[in-house]
Amino acid sequence: MTNSGMPRPDTYPDRTMSDSADASSPTETQNNVIMRRAVRDSIPLFIPAVPFALVLGVAITESAMPTAIAWSTNVFIFAGAAQLATVSLAATATWLTLVATAAAINLRHVMYSAALAPRFEDQPRWFRWVGPFVLIDQTFALVSARTELSADTWRRYYLTAGVFFFVLWNIAVIAGMLVGSSIPSEWRLGVAPAVMFAGLVVLGLTNWPGVVAAVTGAAVCFMALSVPNNGGILIGAVAGVTAGYIADVVLDGRNLSTRGFPQ
Amino acid sequence: MTTAAALSAVLVVGLITYSSRAGLILFLAERPLPSALVRALRYVGPAVLSALTVNLLAGGEGPSGVEVVEIAAVSAGIIAAVLTRNLIASLTAGMVTLWLLLLLL
Repeated sequence: MTNSGMPRPDTYPDRTMSDSADASSPTETQNNVIMRRAVRDSIPLFIPAVPFALVLGVAITESAMPTAIAWSTNVFIFAGAAQLATVSLAATATWLTLVATAAAINLRHVMYSAALAPRFEDQPRWFRWVGPFVLIDQTFALVSARTELSADTWRRYYLTAGVFFFVLWNIAVIAGMLVGSSIPSEWRLGVAPAVMFAGLVVLGLTNWPGVVAAVTGAAVCFMALSVPNNGGILIGAVAGVTAGYIADVVLDGRNLSTRGFPQ
Repeated sequence: MTTAAALSAVLVVGLITYSSRAGLILFLAERPLPSALVRALRYVGPAVLSALTVNLLAGGEGPSGVEVVEIAAVSAGIIAAVLTRNLIASLTAGMVTLWLLLLLL
């Protein structure tokens, strides 16, 4: 749900299952064990997403889109940063700029898809279609660390975590919508998305080329603010990616520190 | 934005999002992405999000749309994020800064 920063599978601790849940023919008890485990692992990853969901809920109530359509991003998009961009940009951007920006924010999922593709090879067809619906940052972080699970157990773990995030995300966003409609406009909650995105950029930075990409993206977008139809976002984004890529090649991806993206 | 434009935008973004999540799982299993593409994809997040931050601050009014209190709020959020690596702390610092300045100015 939250954005940026590519958590590499190998950076997650490979905790092994203490329960024997990955037997070849799991019993009902073992299924319950793995589902409980999935929920227990998901909770700490969900907590940091709560303020994000609240900000999104407020932004939905203030969106230039009809509220029901802005709300439907929870079902059709289900990716916090892209949802926030979609509902916030509706006031000023053209259709094309809005779609291109939100799509660009979600491009990182291609990397998740590539990383998990081998694990999906021995999965049933229906799951290969359904699983990606809930492939958000948090699910990816959880399931990519679970290399020790059998195919059936991994699928159960994946779906439990995915459904958990989907349900709790929707509850938290609705809570934000209730909050948003009861807070007076003098509180300027409309500034919250910008603060949120700036924080996400910082948390997603793991190396110097990332810093170069972010600073270039912001600076070029600022210089291009007078470009019609909010085209500055895309000009800034292209400039930022290019600068980051060049810096990466030059610096060969030197790390900022050992701390990665916390979510 | 009209209802039809809003709905079609949401659906198209949803379709692109699903495609980016499902594409390689469904059709390209076992085929690795070119390393240059992986390298570039890594910087899409920081570049787009920082450009988007600037754009939202301007609110579609060009450079004049960026208010001092907004810059202060975002800066406080950035500093808090660097210091704490915590999104809740970042958001709190940014909004509290905004409210304090609105009260004082």
